[in-house]
Amino acid sequence: MIELLSGIKNTSAALEAERTRLDVIAQNIANAHTTRDVDGQPYQRRVVVFENQLQNAMGAGATDGSDLPAMQVASIQRDPRPPLQVYDPGNPAADGKGMVSMPNINIHEEMADMISASRTFEANLAVVKNARSMAMQTLAIGRH
Amino acid sequence: MIEALFSQPNYLAAKKTLDAVALRQEAIANNLANLETPGYRRVDLSPGFEKQLEQASASGDSGQLAALQPTLAPDATAKPSSKDGNTVKLEDELMRMNQNTMVHAMETQMVSGMLAKMRLAITGHS
Repeated sequence: MIELLSGIKNTSAALEAERTRLDVIAQNIANAHTTRDVDGQPYQRRVVVFENQLQNAMGAGATDGSDLPAMQVASIQRDPRPPLQVYDPGNPAADGKGMVSMPNINIHEEMADMISASRTFEANLAVVKNARSMAMQTLAIGRH
Repeated sequence: MIEALFSQPNYLAAKKTLDAVALRQEAIANNLANLETPGYRRVDLSPGFEKQLEQASASGDSGQLAALQPTLAPDATAKPSSKDGNTVKLEDELMRMNQNTMVHAMETQMVSGMLAKMRLAITGHS
């Protein structure tokens, strides 16, 4: 099919990746107090890692735009920071001293991440809008 | 012949500018898509293109204009704003995108105007 909206392929890949990032942030917030993950350990914060296909293939050379690198989610990794220690002797997960290992999640950090992800999402939507209006103008060439 | 109608330097220059604007939109779309990719370096129109276009339209040579081909290249002047080495700045990119859309609107109107004038010359009414 002809590409009427220029550059839209990479934009949709980015929208999808940001969507994944928002999903992971939602998962982190939902599990902010999960002391037992599937492996029995406190839930560990998940981080989305983005990568760029073909970044090296392109190098510093000029291109006609057909081989621009598309971005994608490389992996979802665990945040290696240690779990937070909270004093809560009534908690069934508490150790001998009454300390509970809580997930290494900082709600404020997640909120900041969420805002950044949704702003990036919006920026990509703005690209779609602009590409669309440009395509409409192009289609109107010669009309009067 | 009929090709002569569409090989006037002005018309060709407008067409080439439209090509460049479309390509630029692609570059900006890609830059915004990679807003958060570590180590990504922003791309833009090759810096030589505008100069070449200027020279070619000053010379008035249709062949030279028709041979012009805009390309994209990594922007060597952009500096990374954070530690991850990414050189894309959201505000700059959005600004460029809007500017690009304006240039596109102008060029499409110009091409439409040229076609309308041609039609007027051929048919006697627009």
